[in-house]
Formats: sequence, structure tokens, C-alpha cells
Amino acid sequence: MRKTAIQTKDPHIQALARIVGGEKSILYKKEDLIAYDCDGFTVHRHLPKAVVFPKNTEEVAAIVKYCHDHDLPFLARGAGTGLSGGAIPLNGEVVISLTRMKRLLHVDLENRRAVVEPGFVNLKLTNSIADRGYYYAPDPSSQYCCTIGGNVAENAGGAHCLKYGVTTNHILGLEVVLPNGEIIEIGENGIPDPPGYDLLGLLTGSEGTLGIVTKITVRILKNPEAKQTVLAYFDRVEDASQAVSDIISAGMVPAALEMMDQTAIEGVEAAAFPVGHPKDIEALLLIEVDGISAGISEQINEILHICKKRNVREVKVAQSEEERARWWANRKTGFSAMGAISPDYLVQDGVIPRNKLPEVLKNIRAISKKYGLRIANIFHAGDGNLHPLVLFDARKPGETERALAAGSECLQVCAAVGGSITGEHGVGIEKKEEMRFIFSDEEIVAQTDIRDVFNPKNLLNAGKLFPTPGRCVEMKQVASSIK
Amino acid sequence: MLPLAWKDDLTTFLPEEQVKIDGQTHPLGNGGHVTVYPQTEAEISAVLRYANSHGKKVCIVGGGTKRGFGGQMECADILLSLANYSGIVEHAAADMTVTVKSGTVFGQLQDYLAEYRQKVALDPAWPQYATIGGVIAANDSGPKRLGYGSARDSVIGLRTVYPDGTVIRSGGKVVKNVAGYDMNKLFIGAMGTLGVLSEITLKLRPLPKYESLVLLSFPSGNLEEVRSFAVQFLDSMMEPVCFELLSPSLSERLIGKRAYTLMIAFEDVESAVHYQEDYVQRLRPSHTTIRILPQEEAKSFWQTFYTIGPNGAAPHEPAGNEVEAAVKIGVVNLNVISIIRESELLEDCCHVHMEAHGALGHGLCQVYLKGSEESIITAIEQLRAAATSLGGYAIVKHLPFALRTRVNVWGEKPSYFFLLEGIKRKIDPKQTLNHQRFVGGI
Repeated sequence: MRKTAIQTKDPHIQALARIVGGEKSILYKKEDLIAYDCDGFTVHRHLPKAVVFPKNTEEVAAIVKYCHDHDLPFLARGAGTGLSGGAIPLNGEVVISLTRMKRLLHVDLENRRAVVEPGFVNLKLTNSIADRGYYYAPDPSSQYCCTIGGNVAENAGGAHCLKYGVTTNHILGLEVVLPNGEIIEIGENGIPDPPGYDLLGLLTGSEGTLGIVTKITVRILKNPEAKQTVLAYFDRVEDASQAVSDIISAGMVPAALEMMDQTAIEGVEAAAFPVGHPKDIEALLLIEVDGISAGISEQINEILHICKKRNVREVKVAQSEEERARWWANRKTGFSAMGAISPDYLVQDGVIPRNKLPEVLKNIRAISKKYGLRIANIFHAGDGNLHPLVLFDARKPGETERALAAGSECLQVCAAVGGSITGEHGVGIEKKEEMRFIFSDEEIVAQTDIRDVFNPKNLLNAGKLFPTPGRCVEMKQVASSIK
Repeated sequence: MLPLAWKDDLTTFLPEEQVKIDGQTHPLGNGGHVTVYPQTEAEISAVLRYANSHGKKVCIVGGGTKRGFGGQMECADILLSLANYSGIVEHAAADMTVTVKSGTVFGQLQDYLAEYRQKVALDPAWPQYATIGGVIAANDSGPKRLGYGSARDSVIGLRTVYPDGTVIRSGGKVVKNVAGYDMNKLFIGAMGTLGVLSEITLKLRPLPKYESLVLLSFPSGNLEEVRSFAVQFLDSMMEPVCFELLSPSLSERLIGKRAYTLMIAFEDVESAVHYQEDYVQRLRPSHTTIRILPQEEAKSFWQTFYTIGPNGAAPHEPAGNEVEAAVKIGVVNLNVISIIRESELLEDCCHVHMEAHGALGHGLCQVYLKGSEESIITAIEQLRAAATSLGGYAIVKHLPFALRTRVNVWGEKPSYFFLLEGIKRKIDPKQTLNHQRFVGGI
């Protein structure tokens, strides 16, 4: 292969270029770096020092070792779909893009596992095994483009994790490059409960601050024999919430149980995948039940009964796979659909005990009023994971700041009812100060102590996940004032 | 008698009746010269703070069922018993979560939840003795793990008392949460080497509307046939919550049939359960024998099943110099068949009584052994060799103290042992808690 000369005198760039095999696998000119100055969280931007594209674990390890030895900050990046800023090079990092490590290495259907490289796209895994009737369960809405490596870093969820769990429940093994360049393998051969502390569990969701995952063994599942999907329109959001509680307490575990409020419905209906939802309802529920075909109709009947008892205006069961797919496309593009009714939007990701929903929605409406910004709610209602979408216009002076403040206040509301500040998007940059809403100083130190074991020089993805020391007092006052 | 003048220090922060001198050593070790029975989290903190600042070693015990699981200390300075630290802190029935004190007996928790038609989705051994804290700390799981996952899938929040007495919360009370590191995972299965679990928050599942257990025996002894059936069944869309192979010896004890037997459990609405039973009927080879235990019969079978292994809280007085042991083996799913086969072969060549079962859907096996000390040690080594030759591992879950010094309970250290050691050093630098109980002498 002909190598183009590197047009910089920066010795680090030259050294990194040598590791990855030349000009084609590194970006270092400003105009090329701009695309990497943020991820799905666009409020903060910072240019990386360079972006490198390793092809294999050894190259990742060599890059990391070089950065470690030369005190260069670095971080890993997948598809850049993260919503909390985990892949933003805050400190001018060397960005290690894993998009060229995108092979499906091994599929073992008999033993229900697959081995992928971190840049392998989530949905491609399901597509690769669908002909044999298998799938990979975690299904974040960005699954058509997000990578499994990124899913591991963020412990990604999705609409169907109510029944099947989030990423951490499906990871059997990891190959990891530690922040000093050493390569380790945890969960060899994907065998559960490897003796020792559960490092698989610790690394999953560590937002790229403990190591860089270079190979992933995941559990794959057999498709359910049958599934049915229900769409229910409610005039009152309280009735919809109550129906959710009733379904859960009736002893059912639906595969998915999603809610959208009126503003969210307005957005999805104005966007690319409208399905004709009425605009004057306060909430809709999208409910999916799957499992053994012989048991499905009984559960569907019970759900229909519950919805009727809770004053549903209209409730229907999808009559075809095509109809079901349309309902889901409408829901899964819900965030980006807000673009149809607002120039900008900010997604939040609070979690609440399910029975606190009416109270929390009321408080969010008050926040919306207080800041003069519309807030749409898309909600994984079954597991209490709320996504308030704060709609704003960044061109108007001060509105971005107001939107951020409104988003943060939504999280305070979630924390105050015993919930969490993030259910699946991660803390990243966005919510690091809000960590104070739910953790004490000692509890945060307990976590940074663990980071120090893996990442003692804190060169890997520094400045994420944990609050800046010193701001704790004011954040705590805010938190306690709303209790 | 050892000079235990410092025992009086304990009574400065604990009532006299919660501090007991225990003169006797236990055959399973993991005891303490002084046993303390804290009743509050503050008392747990006070005990640890005292021990940590006075260089005392602390062993932790719940119901004592896992007393023979790891540990190189026969007697620590203090045995911290959680027997009197029990009860439900909060049951959010509508949210399907429960927060419970770690000393709560697992079976009592399940009985309480059953009134709400809910359960913790774990089925550990000896539920009438084991505490929830012990189940989580030792990461014990049972045959229904295939359907419901293990402790790491059920625990959503913990309050853990660190060795210096600080209480650290991890996770929370909501079922989905990615705020900060998933610290819960660190403490699950850590064998109490990082902290004392104080309160545990679990997500709950509804009790199934109907259940049954299918017992499918293969009298031919042909394991290829078992494998072929298993592969076909697991490739179907059936949803068993348990799919385990029993060794002929264990099958004989449980159902009086000396043959490889598959335990296939279904929990769903009644029509779905029967539909799956029918599926097994259609798929099974003609000369196999099948027994279906519905509802109460299945429940009663499981209660027996949970008591087949050794119980550290009530060790039998074995005849002569016979000892009991239990080994957990992890291999790739279908290699379970080889392990069950190996246990049967070893029974003859090692002169031990061996009973085994293993899950073809996730790869974990349990082997229970009885025999003379020497033969048990040989058999454990052989089992480990079989597991490692398949790329798996073997750990010894139960063995008398005297033999634990002669067998490597946890097997070889993993290549990343320095990380485990680093974590221990950060959290418990003085090695106060359950010293040498875990992998590599941690």
C-alpha cells in the first residue's frame, strides 16, 4: 500500500500514524477533526488532537501504550451516537475510533453466543442471525447505526429491556485494552461467573473510563414464538399511568411498555413516520407482549380489559407485522422527530419508581411553564425510564442555557422521588454535576477509587462521569430544596 | 483460652448480650474468637470501625450455609453474625421492588412476597437457612437461572458497610439505572471481602400463573442422544426456565430412576405451559421415559432439590472419616454433558459418591461429593482438570477447613489478578474483612 506522507511535524502524530499504518488511518488536520468535536450531545464541543482508526487489538494497545507513555489524553469512540457526551474530547484527546474494527468474529448458535469487534453495529448482529431465528436483545433506538462497543461502554438499554434486560445482562466476555496498553480477557469463552470480582459488570457502563473494549462475547436469544402489539389512546395521562401500574401488578411482564405524551405525539406525527395518532389525546401507550403463542391472547385480553377499565378512548391490536413495524418506527424515531416541531431539543433520561409517574409528569409540566419551554415526554413506562425532551431554539440568546437548566431540574424531580438521573444514556459530561443529586461525596470517591485502580493516570476519557470537586455544596442545596 | 481483654472494647458500643465468646472452633473454619450480633447498620459500622482501627480480622456469617466455601482462617478475631439483622425495610409492591436487611432468611422473604404473588427471581440452595446477604455475597444461583438470571440481574441497589465503617450506597431503588459505575456488581459474589452488605434492593418478578416440571429420562445411557435432543429443543422457540441434566446417581436419589435425566421446567400461563409439555412429548425419542409434575408436585420437588448439596449450617456427622464437598464448574453450555459424564466416570475411579447436575442453557454445573479425605482431594483435582481442559473453571463451594488448606479452592489466579488485588487494596487496605476467603488469597 502506498503511504501518503504525513503533513505535520508533530512527533506524536507521526508516531501514531506509524502505529496505524499511515495517512489513511489518521486524521489530524483541523478541517477533518471538526466532525469529531462532539457526539450525540451537541451542547459541548472540543476538537481532538487526532483521530486514529486502528484495525485490530494490537494497534489499539500500541496507541494506548504510546499515549500512556507520553501523557497524551485519549478516548475511544464508536458511532458517536451517545447522548451524554461520553465521546467528546474535552481535553483535546487522541480519539481512537473503533469503526474499522467491525467484524462479526464468531457465531455459535448451539451455545447461544456471538463474538464481535467493538465497531460492529448493533442491528447487524440481529440481521446476521435472523435467518436462523435468533436475535441480540438490547435494542437502543439508534441500533441501526450504534456500535456494540459503544453499547457496552454506556450499558445501553432500549424499548425491549423491560423483559430482556439492558446490555450488561447480555455480555458474557470482553477483551479489554487497559489504560496502560495491557490486553486482558475477562469471561474467557463466555462462561458465566468467572472467579473473581465481576469486572464484566463493572466495565459495562463505565463510559469508556476504565478500558477500551476490543472484543465482545454476547448472549444471543431465540426469537419469541409469537408477539402482539397494542396501541392505546388515553384522554387523560393519569389513566394511562394507572393502566401501566395495573398491567405490571397483574403479574404480566410485557416485552415493551412505552408511553408518549401529547407534545411527543405532535412531534412524531409531524415527522417521517406518522401513523395517524389523534392529536387531542394526552397520552398513548404502545404495549408489546411476546412469548409462547398459546399464552399470548390471554395476556392481550387482559391488557385490553385493563385499558378499558382505565377509560381508554381507543385501543387496538396490530393486525399485521407491517402495522406493528409502523408503530415502532414512529416510536423509535421519537427523539429526532422533535426536529419537526422545534429547531433544537435536549433529551433527558431520568428514572422514577413507576407509581410516581403522575406526580413527576405534573412537576415536569411546571418546569416547562417556569422556563417557557415545551417539554415532550417519551417514556419507557414499564421500567420507569422517562425521556423528557426539552424543545428550544439555540439561535435565541440564552435559550440553550434555559433548556439545560430545565433538563437538570427534571432530573432533580426524578431524584427527589427516589429515582435516578440516568437510565440508559449515561452521565458523560452532561449529567456529571447531577451525580450529586443521588450520591454523597464518599460514594463518589468510592467510585473514583475504582477508576484509579484501572486508570491511575486518568488519561483515558478524563473529566467525565464524576462531578468537578467544589461544586458539590451548591448542587446539594438545590437537591435538598426540592425534597 | 486466649486473652480477649479487647472483648470489653466491643461492649462499649454493643449491648453485652450481642457479644459472645465462642471457645470452640468449627470444622468448616471461618469462625471468630468473639461473635457479635449487630442489630442495626450503625452497629455493623461500629464493629468494623473498631476492628479496622485495631488490626482485628473479621469473618462475616449469615445463616452459615456457605461456611465451607473458601477461607484460610479457622478462627478470625471477630465473627460478625447477621442473624439478628433481618427484616423487610421497604416493599414497593406496585413497583415490584423490595429492600431487605441482609440477615433476612431467603425463604422467609419469599414467603412474605408470595402473599403479593411476587418473588425474588433467584432460587438458591437451602432457602430456609441461607440469608439473602449470603446468597448475594456468594452469588449463589439455582436451576431456574436459565429463565430468570442470577444475582447480578436481580440486585438493583445495595447499602454496603466498608471496612472503615462508612456506608456506601450503590445503584438505587429503580429497575434501570446507569448513573456512575455499576458498583453493585463489585459486591455481588465478592464473598464479603470488600464490605458487609447491609441492605439489598431487588427487583421482583410476578409469581408464575402456572408451572410444571418435565423429567425426561434416557435409560439407554447414550449421551449423544441427550445432546441431540437438547440441541433441537434449545433451537426451538420454547421458553424453559430450567434445562438441566442430572447425573444417573442424582436422578436415582431424586426420582428413583438411575438414568441421565433432563429437568425441564416451564412457568407461564397454563395454556402456554401445557403447549410446551406437548412439544417435549413430540420431540422426545421413543424409548425415553417422561414424568410431568404439575403445580404443587413441581413446587415440592424443588423444595427437595434445593437441599441436595451440603449445608454448612447443619453439617451431617459423616460416617467414619467420610467428608462432603461441593464443586461448581463453569464450561461452555453444551460441554455440561461432558462434565456430567466425567463425574460419573470419576465416581468409579476415585471411589467417591458423586452426584451432579448442569445447565445446558448456560454452562454451570454443581457436583456433590462424599468420600474419604484423600479420594475427595483426588476427585476435585480430576474434576478441575476436566473443566480446564474444556476451557472452563472449577471452584470448591464446600469443603471442611482442614482440607481447604490442601486444595486451591478458587483455582488458578486469572491473568488480570492485579486488578482484583488493586480493588481489594483500595477498599480494604488492612485486609480486615474475610481475609483470604477469595480468589488468590484476597
